[in-house]
Amino acid sequence: MPAVITANLPVFLIILPLIAAFILPTIARRQRLQENLLLVVGSLGLLGAGYLVYLVMHGGISSVYQMGGWPAPWGIELQVDNLASFFLLVVALIILPVFLYSRRNMAEEVGSREKVARFYVLILLLIGALAGMALTNDLFNVYVLVEVATISCVGLVSSRNHPLSAEAAFRYLILATFGSALILGGIGFIYIITGHLNMGFAAQELVQVWQYRPHVVWMALIFLLAGFGIKAALFPLHLWLPDAHSIAPTPASALLSGLAVKGYLICLFKFFYRVAVPFLLQELAIDKIMKWAGLLGIVLASLMAIRQDELKRRLAFSTVAQIGYLFLGASLMNTRGLSGTFFYLASHAVIKSALFLSAGMMISVTGKKKVSQLAGIGKKMPVTTAVFTIASLGLVGVPLFSGFVGKWYLLLGALDSGDFLSALVIIAGSVLCAAYLFPVVRLAYFEPAEIKEAQDPGIPQKLALVFLAVLVVLLGVMPGIVLELANRAALDLLTP
Amino acid sequence: MRILLEKLLINYPFFFAIILFVMGAFTVLTRSNLFKKLIGINIMEGGIFLFFVAAGNIKGGAVPILVDNPGVTYINPLTSALMLTGIVVSVSVTAFALALIVRIYKIYGTTDARRIAEMRKEVKERCQQS
Amino acid sequence: MRDFVLKRVVAVIIPFISLYGFYVILHGAISPGGSFAGGIIVALSVIAFATIFGLDRAKEKLPEKILVWTDSYGTLWYVLMGLVGIVKGVPFLSNRLAGINLGVPGTLSAGGLIALIGIGVGIRVASTMITLFFTMMEEEK
Repeated sequence: MPAVITANLPVFLIILPLIAAFILPTIARRQRLQENLLLVVGSLGLLGAGYLVYLVMHGGISSVYQMGGWPAPWGIELQVDNLASFFLLVVALIILPVFLYSRRNMAEEVGSREKVARFYVLILLLIGALAGMALTNDLFNVYVLVEVATISCVGLVSSRNHPLSAEAAFRYLILATFGSALILGGIGFIYIITGHLNMGFAAQELVQVWQYRPHVVWMALIFLLAGFGIKAALFPLHLWLPDAHSIAPTPASALLSGLAVKGYLICLFKFFYRVAVPFLLQELAIDKIMKWAGLLGIVLASLMAIRQDELKRRLAFSTVAQIGYLFLGASLMNTRGLSGTFFYLASHAVIKSALFLSAGMMISVTGKKKVSQLAGIGKKMPVTTAVFTIASLGLVGVPLFSGFVGKWYLLLGALDSGDFLSALVIIAGSVLCAAYLFPVVRLAYFEPAEIKEAQDPGIPQKLALVFLAVLVVLLGVMPGIVLELANRAALDLLTP
Repeated sequence: MRILLEKLLINYPFFFAIILFVMGAFTVLTRSNLFKKLIGINIMEGGIFLFFVAAGNIKGGAVPILVDNPGVTYINPLTSALMLTGIVVSVSVTAFALALIVRIYKIYGTTDARRIAEMRKEVKERCQQS
Repeated sequence: MRDFVLKRVVAVIIPFISLYGFYVILHGAISPGGSFAGGIIVALSVIAFATIFGLDRAKEKLPEKILVWTDSYGTLWYVLMGLVGIVKGVPFLSNRLAGINLGVPGTLSAGGLIALIGIGVGIRVASTMITLFFTMMEEEK
């Protein structure tokens, strides 16, 4: 039996959330059962992802899983490598606290009890799609999974019981579908010139044919960059994100900002580093576009975040800025820069979920959305505010917190490629980040209280917040395994 | 010039695919009516579908059902199969978007993006009061 | 609609539409068509009933609960068929490798598990389309 589980672990990790998603509607009335089922799925997912990481690091699992036993050019493969297991671990680490947080906490934000079940179904579908994106090795499967993830994300945004949610969701849907069409076009170009949908085979062909058809390859990569850029909120294409992420229900905001955006990024990295090769990106100047978009994103989105008074909107703009870091790191094209990117991806996922969950808790308890109205909340809700503070320190990049390690490696990567402007912007981004997050902390602790009655949330919510805060500190103090995995993933991608 | 024209004539489906794609993209980006935006998305996806199906087609090729006749050239069925999936996805996106438009219409009483943008502040204040 | 001829004709035709839909679903593995097209045809028969006889009578015949169940278990059936391979010790969704006899090409059993998967997908597509239509008709009221 264990041998069966070990051999098929990647498939189990994909179908586990999907099975739960299809069981949930049939038990829509029984809320307690649903929530317990979700916790079981979350814990099993974490166990499975941890075991997969162990297996991958010790070489205990074959790196290719053939669906239906068909070999590569004909069949569909799952690629079980460092990158996939790394992202699966990140996903599993975030969803468990999110499930804990939404325990007996959703009815108000979503509307009614039956809608809560639909909300959970959408979350589970999103997780299944993200797991698939991490593992898949097939170009068209990427499109299908991206589309599943997009529809679930839009559904999550529109599930909020709020008059503005439908419009934010519609704008998100139109732009995201625009992005999907671009992605499909890019995949089409790659398929036409290489004749393969399998990433490995397409890469082999692409290296040989790109000289004869450089324009087609350039078109394909630009289409992919623009399509995934829209979905992952690359700077000038981020217009949908602030509205969508700030209007979504709190656990959904945490998932969307923390995980969904990164899933698209992982797919983009697969296209850029596994199908195309780094040399090709430099030859076609794609890395310059990524670099400048990232630089502009870090500075301008941070400046916009400072001007926002609504707490969740401020956090949403901060996501756009942090995505800039990831694109900047990916454009550096060296090992330290790329491993820093991956580590920063993980740490931002944890930090941003902690920030959104704690901020959402403050907002839902007090009913106040604006930063200026939350003065003195530190004394009323000590745990929530403490988690918010720890996460802020992490995002700014104070040593001993997880953001520092990622930023340090990004900085080293920038210096390795002799890019002083990027190094400067990475540091300036930290300062700007402090400028929009520390005022919240200052107001919370050092201003007289305006809010009369506010209490820390119940035990499951507290547990979720503390779990994330501990993760932020742990990743900063001993980044060991995660950093090692990020390093290996970067090496895998850069050495074809 | 003549070579270019000949290439264009041989590959005319791709030409139409590009025209459809650009038409759709233009509609999405410039029209303010939400329905027109949705139709634009559909036209755009139609362009992509045509692009894929044209890529798999071979002039004079037969339907890819195996018969005992060695001289037959089959067209590539893979791209058509892929686009079947693409069409299903686009149908579900369209249905979802229509449902969202219905909800938007109930709240704002209009489907014009510009007027919605004007009314957004009003609605925001209204829901903060209540 | 109160038109007598329409009602009679639809009442006669509906079983045949459904039957044709199921035929297309079952033969999806070996002929053009397939479970998606077949599922839509099955859904069409219910939609025709609902437009002619009214939404309330359609819901009497096909309660929402059944739709939810078919919706969920149609997809679970797919996963279950995939697990057959894993139980037999070969990869997910294996067909011939899992020791399933594929029979003579061109007959119904030639698809092996694919035909069984097709049934689940067909049911799922049909119930999804019906749910979509019912929801939109309710919005109309």
